[in-house]
Amino acid sequence: MAELTHGFKIDREKCKGCLACMRVCPTHAIRVKDGKARYKPDHCIDCGVCLTACPWNSIGATTWSVEDLSRFKFKVAVPCPVLFGQFPTGITPANIVDGLLTLGFDAVWDYSVEIDLVARAIQEYVEKWKGATPLISISCPVVVRLVQVSYPRMADQLIPIQLPREIAGREVKRRYSADLGLNRDDIAAIYITPCQAKTISILQPAEGAVSHLDGTLGITDVYNAVLAYASLQKDETSKSGHRPIIRNSTFLRLHASEGLGHLLPVHRYLRVTGLANTIHVFNDIEKGKLRNVDFLEAYSCWSGCSGGNLTVANVYVTRSKFHSLARNLPEMDAETQTEVERRYSIEDFTLDAPIRPRPIKGRTAGTLKEKVQMVQLAESTLAGLPGLNCGLCGAPTCKELARDVSIGEAAKQDCILLSKNRLQELQRTYLRETE
Amino acid sequence: MTEELLRRTFELRGRDFENAGEKSTEVTSILKELDIDPDVILRVGVVTFEAEMNVVMYADKAILSFILTDDEIAIEVADQGPGIPNIELAMQPGYSTASDEMREMGFGYGMGLPNIKKNSDEFFLESQVGKGTKVYCMIRLNSNG
Repeated sequence: MAELTHGFKIDREKCKGCLACMRVCPTHAIRVKDGKARYKPDHCIDCGVCLTACPWNSIGATTWSVEDLSRFKFKVAVPCPVLFGQFPTGITPANIVDGLLTLGFDAVWDYSVEIDLVARAIQEYVEKWKGATPLISISCPVVVRLVQVSYPRMADQLIPIQLPREIAGREVKRRYSADLGLNRDDIAAIYITPCQAKTISILQPAEGAVSHLDGTLGITDVYNAVLAYASLQKDETSKSGHRPIIRNSTFLRLHASEGLGHLLPVHRYLRVTGLANTIHVFNDIEKGKLRNVDFLEAYSCWSGCSGGNLTVANVYVTRSKFHSLARNLPEMDAETQTEVERRYSIEDFTLDAPIRPRPIKGRTAGTLKEKVQMVQLAESTLAGLPGLNCGLCGAPTCKELARDVSIGEAAKQDCILLSKNRLQELQRTYLRETE
Repeated sequence: MTEELLRRTFELRGRDFENAGEKSTEVTSILKELDIDPDVILRVGVVTFEAEMNVVMYADKAILSFILTDDEIAIEVADQGPGIPNIELAMQPGYSTASDEMREMGFGYGMGLPNIKKNSDEFFLESQVGKGTKVYCMIRLNSNG
């Protein structure tokens, strides 16, 4: 397995070792050593909570800039529906498309056809499935990584159907290379993303997945330029003559509030948002408490992708905007319907390989007996720790310190209550600047 | 030679729907820590969960023991409860004495014991009416059958 490069970089110059990121990390992937935060890459699920929590702006996300696009001959924006709910009233989807074209894109792709294609493929998969339930959507890359890392038993329940954005990327390359006589590599399919986790999933897909998209720009990266342009065009009809970007409400509903659930009416469906809620539900699944659900969509961000960390507008405003946009649109239009019928039978939507678990390293070496001894060492270590979870040892909880001790990555004496040296060490590290 | 590496015992209480499944989770999280094959963990999870539910639904209390050796996992649940008058019937998929209330909660479909047996490499059940039931299950670490 290739080494995973995570989407986050901690700037050691800016990091003050304040523990804010370590305390909020839902998978306990951060330790603070010598006054600086660092990641345990195998624990990280790319959720981005640390980035938001850092008061020193020392955690940055991997993104592209508009300049990165210049190496492609033909550039196509594939905007996440969330983009259309970001702008003030009066700025129409057509204005936003024009704004993207002004920014340097040669075309903007509406992927409502792909959403419907994928919904059908998922429905078929759910109907045929005979294994453990619920089946879990792979829409949110954080949820996929969470399953791989923390719920390896449930990895088989991840639906191995490609995502609408990926199918869109594939179609963009096929369509424009045929229409323009260009090489597929000269065409860039650039996803306009509401979060950095999707960027990571495109630059470095989960095992088994292959991305048809070339890169991403965050909504925050295009927002100002598009807003500035669109404000001038406000309430005017599109100058570019681009066909209407949103022809039916399916496209918006994907991220408004309903997910794919309304497209899959026959199945017992559950939608969960927020990482803590998702973990809660996954724990219930593991305990066997969630027996009557066939299909589950979970999103790391509260309220789904409208709450992504690269969005600009307030999630409630975005949602209300979606509802007003959707009100004037048919659920499905004839053009989209025809295209869906045409493509469904000739395209393959399955992932190249199923997504496999990615268990946390640490105890993978050694015999079972040695691993049992490690677990017992962790338990006896924990019994001797204060249980204050103060974090001053550099681990988020006493339990995590005990675990680190058991795998040789920390010492019991890192606990400030067990060692005076540790206190002095912290004084030297943290009080140096005020002396 | 089989060497015992780890043993845990847990007390279970009848009617305790609130905490049902907790011990099963505790057992499987230990196995996760030990990097045991996920398929084995899944089977242990099913066995312990179903056994736990049986206690919660029918018995007064029970002791669940979990024993790990270098090549197998044994799970033993000994309860104090009504016992099973006809074991052959109880082992039939779909046979259940659960109340409507339990069925409404999504349980009591008569798949508990059959599921436990299906997921075990060795399965043994003895019961005395009016005293209690003892279930013994063994799952081999290196088999997926």
